Amino acid sequence: MADSVVMGSGSLNSGSRSGSSKTSTSPTDNYQLARRRTLQVVVSSLLTECGFESAEKAAMETLTEMMQSYITEVGRCAKATCEHTARSTPTLSDVVITLVEMGFNVDTLPVYAKRSQRMVITAPPITNASVVPKALIAGQKRTHPTYIPSHFPEFPDPHTYIKTPTFREPVSDYQVVREKAASQRRDVERALTRFMAKTGETESLFKDDISAFPLIAAKPSAIPYLSALLPSELELQTLEETDSSEQDDQTDTENNSSNVSQDDQTDTENNSSNVSQDDQSADKENVVLPPGGVVPTGKANEENMIDNPYLRLVKKHKGRRKKLKFIY
Amino acid sequence: MLSYKQNPDPSGLHSRRCMNRKKDKGFEICINNINFQRKSVIGYVELTIFPTVMNLNRIKLNSKQCRIYRVRVNDLEAPFIYNDPTLEVCHHESKQRNLNYFSSAYTAAVSAVDPDAGNGELSIKVPSELWKQGDEMKVMKVYIEFSLDQPKGGLHFVVPDVDGSMAERAAHVFSFGNQNSTRFWFPCVDSYSELCTWKLEFTVDASMVAVSCGDLVETVYTHDMRKKTFHYMLPIPTAAPNISLAVGPFEILVDPYMHEVTHFCLPQLLPLLKQTMSYLHEIFEFYEEILTCRYPYSCFKTVFVDEAYVQVSSYASMSIFSTNLLHSGMIIDQTPVTRRCLAQALAQQFFGCFISRMSWSDEWVLKGISGYIYGLYLKKTFGVNEYRHWIKEELDKIVEYELKMGGVLLHPTFSGGKEKDNPTPHLHFSIRHPHTLSWEYYKMFQCKAHLVMRLIENRISMEFMLQVFNKLLSLASTASSQKYQSHMWSQMLVSTSGFLKSISNVSGKDIGPLIKQWVDQSGVVKFFGSFAFNRKRNVLELEIRQDYTSSGTQKYVGPIKVTVQELDGSFNHTLQIEENSLKHDIPCHSKSRRNKKKKIPLMNGEEVDMDLSAMDADSPLLWIRIDPDMSILRKVEFEQADFMWQYQLRFERDVVAQEEAISALEIFPTPASRLALTDILEQDQCFYKVRIQACFCLAKIANSMMSTWTGPPAMKSLFTRMFCCKSCPNIVKTNNFINFQSYFLQKTMPVAMALLRDVQNLCPKEVLNFILDLIKYNDNRKNKFSDNYYRAELIDALTNSLTPAISINNEVRTVDNLNTDVRLILEEITRFLNMEKLLPSYRNTITVSCLRAIRMLQKNGHIPSDPSLFKSYAQYGHFVDVRIAALEAVIDYTRVDRSSSELQWLLDLVQNDPVHYIRHEILSMLAKNPPFTKAADSLLCNEALVDQLWKLMNSGTCHDWRLRCDAVNLYYTLFGLTRPSCLPLPELGLVLNLKEKKAVLNPTIKSEQGPGGPERPGLTVVLAFPTQEEEDIDMDTVHDSQAFIYHHLNMLERPSTPDITLFQLFALIFTGKEPSSVEQAMLSMPGTPMPTLSKESTSSKHGDHHHHHHHHEHKKKKKKHKHKHKHKHKHESKDKDRDSHAFSNSPASGRSIRSPSLSD
Repeated sequence: MADSVVMGSGSLNSGSRSGSSKTSTSPTDNYQLARRRTLQVVVSSLLTECGFESAEKAAMETLTEMMQSYITEVGRCAKATCEHTARSTPTLSDVVITLVEMGFNVDTLPVYAKRSQRMVITAPPITNASVVPKALIAGQKRTHPTYIPSHFPEFPDPHTYIKTPTFREPVSDYQVVREKAASQRRDVERALTRFMAKTGETESLFKDDISAFPLIAAKPSAIPYLSALLPSELELQTLEETDSSEQDDQTDTENNSSNVSQDDQTDTENNSSNVSQDDQSADKENVVLPPGGVVPTGKANEENMIDNPYLRLVKKHKGRRKKLKFIY
Repeated sequence: MLSYKQNPDPSGLHSRRCMNRKKDKGFEICINNINFQRKSVIGYVELTIFPTVMNLNRIKLNSKQCRIYRVRVNDLEAPFIYNDPTLEVCHHESKQRNLNYFSSAYTAAVSAVDPDAGNGELSIKVPSELWKQGDEMKVMKVYIEFSLDQPKGGLHFVVPDVDGSMAERAAHVFSFGNQNSTRFWFPCVDSYSELCTWKLEFTVDASMVAVSCGDLVETVYTHDMRKKTFHYMLPIPTAAPNISLAVGPFEILVDPYMHEVTHFCLPQLLPLLKQTMSYLHEIFEFYEEILTCRYPYSCFKTVFVDEAYVQVSSYASMSIFSTNLLHSGMIIDQTPVTRRCLAQALAQQFFGCFISRMSWSDEWVLKGISGYIYGLYLKKTFGVNEYRHWIKEELDKIVEYELKMGGVLLHPTFSGGKEKDNPTPHLHFSIRHPHTLSWEYYKMFQCKAHLVMRLIENRISMEFMLQVFNKLLSLASTASSQKYQSHMWSQMLVSTSGFLKSISNVSGKDIGPLIKQWVDQSGVVKFFGSFAFNRKRNVLELEIRQDYTSSGTQKYVGPIKVTVQELDGSFNHTLQIEENSLKHDIPCHSKSRRNKKKKIPLMNGEEVDMDLSAMDADSPLLWIRIDPDMSILRKVEFEQADFMWQYQLRFERDVVAQEEAISALEIFPTPASRLALTDILEQDQCFYKVRIQACFCLAKIANSMMSTWTGPPAMKSLFTRMFCCKSCPNIVKTNNFINFQSYFLQKTMPVAMALLRDVQNLCPKEVLNFILDLIKYNDNRKNKFSDNYYRAELIDALTNSLTPAISINNEVRTVDNLNTDVRLILEEITRFLNMEKLLPSYRNTITVSCLRAIRMLQKNGHIPSDPSLFKSYAQYGHFVDVRIAALEAVIDYTRVDRSSSELQWLLDLVQNDPVHYIRHEILSMLAKNPPFTKAADSLLCNEALVDQLWKLMNSGTCHDWRLRCDAVNLYYTLFGLTRPSCLPLPELGLVLNLKEKKAVLNPTIKSEQGPGGPERPGLTVVLAFPTQEEEDIDMDTVHDSQAFIYHHLNMLERPSTPDITLFQLFALIFTGKEPSSVEQAMLSMPGTPMPTLSKESTSSKHGDHHHHHHHHEHKKKKKKHKHKHKHKHKHESKDKDRDSHAFSNSPASGRSIRSPSLSD
C-alpha cells in the first residue's frame, strides 16, 4: 500500500535507467531496485528545485533513505489507522490523520503541490507484469457461497481439501501386512541368530553335519536369575507403547473380538486389574532405600513419617558392648 | 557373626522322660562374623536354663556341623562330648546292603539325637561346682562359642562368581532346612516344643542387611564403621526351628499399606518386588478377619533369596521365599502361583510359627489348619470354582498316592516303642521322625491334613471351626505375654488332644469317629457304584461296593450323600453305608415324561431347557452323583450311561461334577460326546479349567473316532472362530491377553490339538501346519502382557505332534534323512532356542520347552540321541528351571540308553552341586523315572552302584535330611527293601541263632524277610568271616530285621550307635578280643534274651568300645565325622569314673577344655 502511495505521488521518468536493471535475478529484487531508483530521481529533482547543482553520492543515499523511511512510515500508520476502524483499505482520511499524527501540517500540502517551479517526473514505464506461472488446475474450483463477499480469495483447488478416494482392498491389505511383518521378523531373527551362531560357540544336534541347525552354546551366567526374571528392554519398550495406547487397545478389543465377554470375569482377571492399579499407587507411596540403609537427605522428611526399623539411621558405636536394656 | 540366646522353655520338659534335662528359658545368639569369601561363620550362643530336675549334671543340646570351641556353664569351663550317630548311619564297611536294616538303623540314629526325647548330639557336663546349685534349681547360663566352615546344610551361601565387592556380587546367605534343622547352624534345643525368648545379634558388612526373627531394635556401626551389628529381640516365646537368618545386600521395600511389614530382595529386582508385593496386605486382612485375631508378631519380613531350598519357608515373623517367585506386571501365569505362595507363608505364620506343636505326631494339626485357612483364602480370592477344583485336585492326589504307596497316617501313636507296632509297615521308611520321612510322603501328609480339616468343618460348620482357631490363638497370645515362670507357655503348643478338646468345647459335637477314621487310621475309601432303575416301583436301585482290602484303602461305614438329578429336579439322599448292605433303594420323585416340554429344575434353583431325546424313555434319571461334596476321602468309580455323563457335563453347575463327567466321557467316543465337549469348550461362562480339560478329552475322543470323524480336525474351527482374524481365518489375531480365560484356552488348545492322530498314527498335516502358522503369525507388539508362556506352549504343541520315526534300519540319524515335517519343527525350535539367548523370556520358559522338544525328537528317533546338549544346560549357572528340564532329559536318556556314565554323572552332581534344590530334584526325578527297577534286570545294576548309593544315604547326605530320604527312596525304587539281587552271595555265611544258641551256615542270603516278619522267634544274625583286618569279624547281613528292632528299641532309650553295640556283641562272643573291662558285662549276654538287655550293660559297652576304637582311629586324625561313635557316655551316674575317662580321652573334649577362643 505504502508503495503504491509513493508511486502515485512521485511519478517520474526513470525509463533510461530501468534498462540496466536486468542483472538482478528475482522480480522482487527488480522491483525494489526500480523503486529506489525512482526515489533517487525524486530526491535529485527536489534538490535541483532547491537550487543544488550537484550532490555527493553519500548525501544522496542518505536523503533517499530518509524519504523512503518517511513514506514507509506514512503507509504503515495509515494502514494501522484504517484497520483500527475495521476496514482493510486505507482512505484519504487515514493518510491525513497519519500525517497529522506525524506532525505534518496538512494544510500546507495543497499549496506545496501547486508550486510553480516544480519538476514533473514522468511515470516509470509499466513493466511487463511478470508471468506468474499458472498453477495446475485440477478439477473445478468452487465458487463462493452467497454469504462470502466476492472479494475474498477464491477457493483453492479441490484436490487440496477434498479426500481422494482410493480403490485398494483393506482386507487383503491386512493379510499382506501380517504376512510381511511375520516373514520380516522371522528373517531378521534367523539372520541374527545365524550370525550369532557363526561368530560364537555352537552346539549341534547332529554329529555328521555340525552346521545344520546350529545352536548358540549355552553359557552359564554368574547371576542367572536376573536375565530370567527381569523383563527385557524390548518388552519394557513394548509395554510403554501399549500403555500409552491402552485406551485405543481396549476399544479395539471390544470391536473386533466380540467373543470376549466382559461380564464374565474370573477372579484372576479382577486381580490383574487391581494389580495394575495397585502398582501405580504403590509407586507413589513406596519407600525405597539403597541397600546401605542410609536415608537420602532430600527425602528424609517424607520417610521419617514411616516408622520402620530398617529405615532408621544406623547408630554410631558407643563404648563397649553396652548391655542392651531396651526391652519392650 | 551370629549370636543367639535361647531361653529354653521349661514346659516341654515335664513331658519328657525324666532325664537329666534342662529347661532353657532365654537364648542369646550372636554371630560376630560372616565371611562370604570363605563361607564361614563365627559366633556364640548363650542359653539360660531353668533346671526342672534335681542333680542336673548333664545338658544335651543339638548341634551339627558346628565346630565348638568352648563351653562354659555359669562362667565355668565345662567339658563336653559330641556324638552324632546320623553322620554315618551304619558303621564299618560291612556288606550289609539291605534297606530294612538301614531304615531301622537310621530311625534309631535320629531318635538318639531327638530333642523331643531329651537327646542331643552335644552333651555338656555341668561342672561339679554347680551341682549343688542345680539341686537348688537355680538358673544356669550355658555359653557356647562355635564356628561353621563351609556349611553343607543349615546355612546356604550364594556367592556369584563375578568381580566386585560381595555386595556388588549380590552375595547372600540364608538359613534353611527340612523341619527342625536349626542345629545345623547353631547349637540349640532343636525342638518345636522348646519355646524361649530370643535375642539375636548379627554383625555384617556395612553394605549388607541382616534380616532375622523379631524386632530390629537397633543397628550399630562397629568401631571402624565397616560393619554393622543388627540387634534383634524376639519377646514372643519361639522354638529354635522357627529361627532364621538372611544376610545380603538386599534392597528394602517398606510395604506401602502396612509399614510394619518390610520386604527384601536382591539388587536390581526392586521393581519386581513392588509388583509382587502389591497385594500382600489383602492376604493379611483376610486372615486377620476370619481368625478375628491380629497378626501375632509386631512385624513381618519377607526375604527373596536365590537358590532357595524350598519355594516358601516360614519362620517366626519372617518368611524366606525363592527369588523366582518375583514377577513383573506383564506376567500372567506366575501371578496366581506367587499369590498362593504368599498366602501359604502367611497362614503358617499363625499356625506353625506362632503356635507350635507339642510333638511330631501333632504336626498334622498345624499343617491342617494352615492349609485349611489357606484354602479359605483361595476361595475368597480365586472364587468358588477354583476352590472346588483345588479340593478335587488335592483329593485325587492323596487318593492316588495312598492307593499306590499305601496309607498316609496323620497321627501316628507309638505305644511303647515296639517296632511290632509300627503303624505303617507298608512304608520303606519310618514315620517316627520328620527326618526319616520321604519328601513325597510329607507333601501328601500336608495335603491330607488340610482335607481332613475340611471334613471337620463339614461336620461342625465353618463358624465353629473359626472359633476354635480363634480360641487357640487367643490362648496362645495371652500365654506369650507371660513370663516363663508362669508355666503358661505350653498354651502356645498345639496338641491333637488339645485341639480335639477345643472342638468339642466350642461345637459340642463329637467328632471322635471322624478323627478315628481319618486321623488315627491311614488309607482312603474306594467306592464302586452302579445302579439300575426299577420302573415298576419307580425306584433307583443303587449299589455301592467298597474295596477295602488293597493297600492304602480302608473300610468306610457311615453316611454318604447321593444326589440324583431327575426330570422334576435334583434330590439329595443320605444313605447309610453299613457292614453288609450294598444295595440302596432310592425312591424317585418323577415319572418319566419326556414329552412334556417343561423346564428342568437344577440343584441351584436354575431351570433349564434340555433336549431329552438322548435319554432312556423309561427312566426319569438324568444323572447321579455319589458324595458330591467330597466329604469322604475317597475315590468313586461310578457307572452310568454316556448320555447321563453328557447331561451332567452340560447341565450340572458344579465344576467337580463337570470334571468327573469329562474324565468319564473319555471311554465314550461318540458324536454325542463330541458335541457335549465342544459345547462346553465354547461356553464362556464355563470355568476355564473345565474347558481346558475338555480340550484334552476331545483330542482323545477324536483319536478313538478317527475312522468316523467328519469335518476339520477337532478344535480347529473353534480356535479359528475364537482367536483368528475374521477376514483371513488362517492368521491368528495379534495377541491380546486381557481376558485371562481366553488366554488360557488359547494357550491350551494347540497343545491338545497336537495330540490328534490320523489313520497312520501321525499328527495330521493340517494340524501341524496350523501350529506352525500360529508360531509364524504370533505378534505380541500390541499386548500389555508377555507371551512367553504362550510361545512355550506352542513349542509344547510341536513336541506333542511328534511321533516315532519310521526307521528302516537302525542307522544313525543324519541331517539328510530328516523328515520334512520334522525339519520344519526343528527349525522353529532352533530359532526359538537361539533367540532366547538374545532375548531371554521370563523364567526361560521357552528354553525349557525347547529342551523338552529336543529330547522328544531324540527319543522318537528323529535326531541322534545325545545327552551332551542337556548336560551343558544342566550346569550350575543356568536358571534353575532350565537346569531341571535339562536334568530331566539326561535322566530320561539314562533310562532309555541305559547309560552308566550318565548315571554316574548325575550321582556326582547329587554330591557336588551347590544348589540343594537341584540335588533333591535329581534324586526324586531318578526315583520317578528310574534307570531300572527292582523288578527288571539291568546292566546298570551292579555292585559299585549299590555301594555308591549306599554310601550316599549312609553318610554322603548327612547334612540334608531331605536329601537323605530322597536317596533312601531311590535305593528303594532300584533295589527294593531287601539285599540287592546284583550283589554276590557272601562267600561264607554263618547264621547265628542267639536264642537257640547255635550257628548254622547261611544257605540263602537272598531269602530276606520283609519288614513284616515279627513272628519269627529269636534273633538270627548272619556273619561272614572274610579275611579282614583288625576288627576281624565283620557283620555282614542281619538276616532278621527283628534283631535290630529289639536293639533299636533299646537304643531309643539312650543315644547310641546301634551297630556298635551289635558289633561288640559279636566280637565278644566269637573272638573275645574286646577289652577286658567290658567282658564282665558282655558275658552275661548270650544267655540273656535280647529284649531284656539292660541299659546299663549296653551303655557300658559303649564306653569301652570307645577306647578300642580310639586306638586305631587316632592315627587317622579326626575328620569330623570320625568322632561320632567315639564319644559315648551313659546316663547312669554310677559310672562316673569311667565317664570322666571317656571325656578326657575324646579328641573333642580334649580340645574343648582349654582351646583358645577364636571369637573376639
